[in-house]
Amino acid sequence: MAKTLMIVDDSATMRKIIMRTVRMSDLKFDRTEEAGNGNEAIEKLKSAPVDIVLCDVNMPEMGGLEMVKKIRAELENCADTKIIMVSTESSQELIDGVIADGANGFITKPFTPEKFQEKLSPFMN
Amino acid sequence: MIEQVCFNEVMIESAKEVFETMVFMDLAEATEPDQNVEGWGLLGSITFKGGLEGCLAICCGTACAQAITTNMLGIDTNEKLTEEDTCDAIGEIANMVMGSVKSRLLENVDNLEVSIPSVIIGHELRNSLGEGAEKISVKVNIEDKYVVELSLLYRESGIE
Repeated sequence: MAKTLMIVDDSATMRKIIMRTVRMSDLKFDRTEEAGNGNEAIEKLKSAPVDIVLCDVNMPEMGGLEMVKKIRAELENCADTKIIMVSTESSQELIDGVIADGANGFITKPFTPEKFQEKLSPFMN
Repeated sequence: MIEQVCFNEVMIESAKEVFETMVFMDLAEATEPDQNVEGWGLLGSITFKGGLEGCLAICCGTACAQAITTNMLGIDTNEKLTEEDTCDAIGEIANMVMGSVKSRLLENVDNLEVSIPSVIIGHELRNSLGEGAEKISVKVNIEDKYVVELSLLYRESGIE
């Protein structure tokens, strides 16, 4: 079954790089959405949920950590959505915290297509 | 503990990792370290605070910034880039190099909080943190063609 993806990052360049890396990792998505911060992502997800969200941590307006909590607390239509954080921040404390809040994985920048393949393929079936 | 850190090596290794993984360009310590980034260029910087406070910056010429952006995005060299594209790319490089530097420094420093990167465009740009700051500066060559300056200014927290 075709999957859908949303990339959430305040940098348009980083959204393009993530999209490029997803393509290089041979993961196929039927539809991809983009959002520039947590607020924008939540508004889009309310009307059109996706299977996988790739989300930055540090963003203006609403960062990734707050976004994860809100999605898990308020968006019933995203109960099955898998959220993978993508960040330069890589402390174990941060990773454990966001996983406890409802994220499903963590990819640190810089990343490779192989890393995307490893982290996302368990959610592709 | 911080005396045990070789900042030059940390910066070069971190930048190498980022350029090899995300930019797909070769980066090596400059063979002629007296070379400068001349003319118009971009300076991407990111501040940090915690066990150490300071600023990491990457400074390069406009042509170099455009080459980096083109490679990062995987687009054709003839494709027109906007100023926003190149600024965004250099900001992300600063962000990722800082992330990599941070993970290496955390072996010797208790805590480091990192800001969102900022980028300025100008002529003969310099990174500054005022008096009392240590400055580490390393020149590197990208693809044996461009000169890039990586700099790290820092002081132990609480020192004005």
